[in-house]
Formats: sequence, C-alpha cells, structure tokens
Amino acid sequence: MNYLLHLIVLIELYVMLALSLNLMVGYTGLLTLAHAAFYGLGAYATTLLMVNWGFDFLFALILAIAGTVLLSFLISFASLRFRGDYFILATLAFQVIVFAVLYNWVDLTRGPYGIPGIPKPSLLGIKIDSLLSFSLFGFVVACLIAGFLALIFRSPFGRTLQAIRDDELAATALGKNVMSFKVRSVAIASGCAAVAGALYATYVTFIDPTSFTIDESILMLSMVIVGGTGNLKGPMVGAVMLIVLPELLRFLAIPDAVAANIRLIIYGFLLIIMMHVRPQGLAGKYQFE
Amino acid sequence: MALLEIQHLAKSFDGVKAVDHVSFAIEPGTITSIIGPNGAGKTTLFNLVAGFLRRDAGTIHYKGKAIDDLSPSQRAGLGVGRLWQDIRVFRNMTARENLLVAQKHQPGEKISNYLLRYKNVDKLEKQNREAAERVIKFIRLDHKQNSLAQDLSYGQQKLLALGRLLMNEAELLLLDEPTAGVNPLMIDEILALIQMLVKEGKTVLMIEHNVPKAMSISDWVYVMDEGRIELYGSPAEVSSNPLLKEVYLGV
Repeated sequence: MNYLLHLIVLIELYVMLALSLNLMVGYTGLLTLAHAAFYGLGAYATTLLMVNWGFDFLFALILAIAGTVLLSFLISFASLRFRGDYFILATLAFQVIVFAVLYNWVDLTRGPYGIPGIPKPSLLGIKIDSLLSFSLFGFVVACLIAGFLALIFRSPFGRTLQAIRDDELAATALGKNVMSFKVRSVAIASGCAAVAGALYATYVTFIDPTSFTIDESILMLSMVIVGGTGNLKGPMVGAVMLIVLPELLRFLAIPDAVAANIRLIIYGFLLIIMMHVRPQGLAGKYQFE
Repeated sequence: MALLEIQHLAKSFDGVKAVDHVSFAIEPGTITSIIGPNGAGKTTLFNLVAGFLRRDAGTIHYKGKAIDDLSPSQRAGLGVGRLWQDIRVFRNMTARENLLVAQKHQPGEKISNYLLRYKNVDKLEKQNREAAERVIKFIRLDHKQNSLAQDLSYGQQKLLALGRLLMNEAELLLLDEPTAGVNPLMIDEILALIQMLVKEGKTVLMIEHNVPKAMSISDWVYVMDEGRIELYGSPAEVSSNPLLKEVYLGV
C-alpha cells in the first residue's frame, strides 16, 4: 500500500512538471532542457528557507516560486534571443550551471552532502506527515496546477502562444510582442516547476543536487513527447507511463542491477518508435516538425 | 495626405543594391501593384515597409508619421498588415483560431486580466468570435472553420491569411504575390476580394507576377528592376510603354 502511495506521489509531482513543461514545449514551441533546474531551484529555495531560516512551509513556497520566476526572467533574456537549436543549447547551459552551483556552493547548499531533515509541510496548522495525507495534498496541488494551466491554455494568451509556436514571424506581423509572450510562458512554467520542487523536498525530506540533473530534464521532456503535447491529457499520460513502466518492469524479474539500464533502453526505443508511429505522442494534439 | 510615403529608401546586401533610393507615395483607398522580374527588390521593399529589415537610408512615413524606428509588431499595431508570399498561416490551429488570434485588441492576452477581470475579457471574446464569424463568411471559408489551417488548400490558406489581416484591422495591406500558386478559379476570387476590401476603405500595395491580372484591378502600377523604379503610371500608361517589355524581357 505504501509503495502504491509513493508511486502516486511521484506521479503527482511529475504530472505537475510535465504539464508546466508542456506550456513551454507544446504551446510556445520552446524545447528546453532546463526544466529540472527550475524544479531544483524551487526545491532548494523552499528547503533553505525552512531549514536555515525557519520559515513556515506556505511562506517558503511562495517565496520559492517568486525567486524561481525572477530567475527565469534572467534566463529568458539571456536565451530567448536564440532560436531553435541555439535556444536548446542555451537552456542546456543553464541546466549545467544550476547544477554546478548547487553542487559547489557548499556553504549554502552543502553541495554533494545534500540537506537532510527538511520538515514535512504543514498548512494552517495541519501537518501533512503521513504518506496518505501527502498523496492527497499532492493530488490537490496537481489539480490546482492542472486547472490553472487549463485556464491559461484556453485563454487568449494561450492562443497567442500557439500562434507564436506555429509561426513567429507571422505572429509578429500581426502585432504580437513575441518576446513578452515567451518570457511570460517561461515564467509560468518555471513557477509551476518550483511548486513541484517544494513538494518534492518536503516529501523526501532530503535533497541533493543529483535529483536535479540534465537526466531529470530529459525524463520530463520524454514524458511530454511520449504522452503528446499541445493539450492537457498528453503530458499526464506521459508522466503516468514513464513512472509506472519501470515499476512494472520489476515484475519481470529483471535483476535490480540492470533495471535502471533497461529503463533507459526502453525510453530510447519508445521515443524512436513514437516518432515514427505517432509523432504527435500518445494523446497529443500538436506535432513537432 | 498620402497613407504611405517612401523617400529615398535604400538597402544593400553585401554591396548589392536590393532597393536603390526608391521614392513613392500611396494614396488611401487605392490598389497599387509593383511588378518586375525576380530579384528586382520587391520583397525587400515590403520587408523594409513592414519593419522586418532595417533601411540603410531614406525614410518611411505612415499616416504622416515616421515609422523607421518602429519594430514590426509596432508597425502592425498602426495598421500595416502583411501577407507573405509563403502565406504563413498558423498550421496547427483551426481556421477560426487563426482569425481569433489575429484580433488586435485582446486584454485577455494579459494573464492578470484573464484571471481577475474575466467578465470583461469574456465579453470581448464574444465580440471577437462574432467578428471572426463575419470575416470567415466574407472569405467564404465558413464550411472549413474547424479544419486545421494545414489541411486547407493553398488558395484557401491565402484567403485565410487575408482574413487574418482583416481581423487585425490592418489598413495598409502589403500583399506579396496574393495569387501565386493558386488555381485559376480562385485567382479571380482572391482578386475580387481584394477589390471589395478597397471599397471598404483598405489600401492595397501588392507584388504580383501575373501582370495582366495585376493591371486589371490596379489604380497604379510601378515597374521595379534592379532595386529602382523604372516606370510608373496607370495600368494603361504602363502597358503601352515599350520600357515594360525591356524590363521584363531584357530586350
């Protein structure tokens, strides 16, 4: 039962991450490799505020979101000048920089030793410390994020994002300030990733930089691409699939030592098969060109 | 007052003069065609007017105001609309969404407005949908309104791109080869549409390779070659001028 609840919490976290990533990838056409960096920034900001300065979870969360969004502006202005492949490289650089800072700024982050003893979250005096209560809490937050993003997708703002994704030049010629739309899209996506980070940190109660590497970014991107982009359903399907699939592999009696590698091989195959058979993803709407 | 006034506009690429000190003015409510061989600098001229290229010299006035330092989106905001030669519809959006997104005044593009002043946004969205409905009927694509733009025929995509300009409340329409690659039946439909737009107060500046067709609907014709305007006048004047053949055939 605990195992199942743990899986559910993981799925909730990754649904938040994949959905917010979809705002950038599927709706704005910004393929990014830095989503785990924003996830990590949210986790570390929340943790430091709670552990070092004794902040309440809710305040720490709000400040972590604000801080991550502010940092996203910096990244946006540095990288959004680039288009296509160069933008992807710029986000890769950002991802690597964030990891390097988390890993090497030992005075603040304790570097590779990580930060243990993160308090469980509490809301309005109610402590969320059991697995069941956390999975419910995660469910509520995931629903809030999904609802918020659904509103964004339906809004005129979301519609213009799609136009920019399809043809930036034509959107400009219609008077859209493309840069402003992209910056806001990145800000929202990174803010949501920060929420997932805060939840992750307080769920596991220990964080270290290895949870926020480029591999994580790629995993999130795989979820979005395998599940499908351009709607709400796709990334959810992708998140559930890529979390549940390796767990199912356990029942195949593959030795633990190779399970991780096999998971990678399956990702690779899945992605390739996907691109051939269903380029729009399992449940997606928008097709990459 | 001229709607668009261009003076001594120049642009070179690596020393090649694409637009070589061109001057002309466009009166409101007219159709002006620019014709000339490939590489004459016509599209470059359009890019300069729409703001996608920066000029080397000269000035562009729109409604009496210098727009040289404005970005393409700012120029679009003033009413300079552009139809691209390669159309550039939003491929993964439906025909209707293509029109809706083009609406100029959209407070719902600000998230705070959308979340906090939803009623106001919703009211404007309703108006936007009504406007889109009118435009889609006008361009005769109402039977295709829920099709993805990429599934429309080439000619239909051109119509949709024109409709997008209408939704955008563009006043000066820069049309880059509006009939190129379109089947003959649809050419007449598109040209009739352009004439209708001008009757409703729009001003058209278009690049057209189909010279007889261009002549048939234009008030003014400019013949461009090697970055310069070699000849201009009414369609009758230009077509009777022996220089026209020289520019086109090099004889």
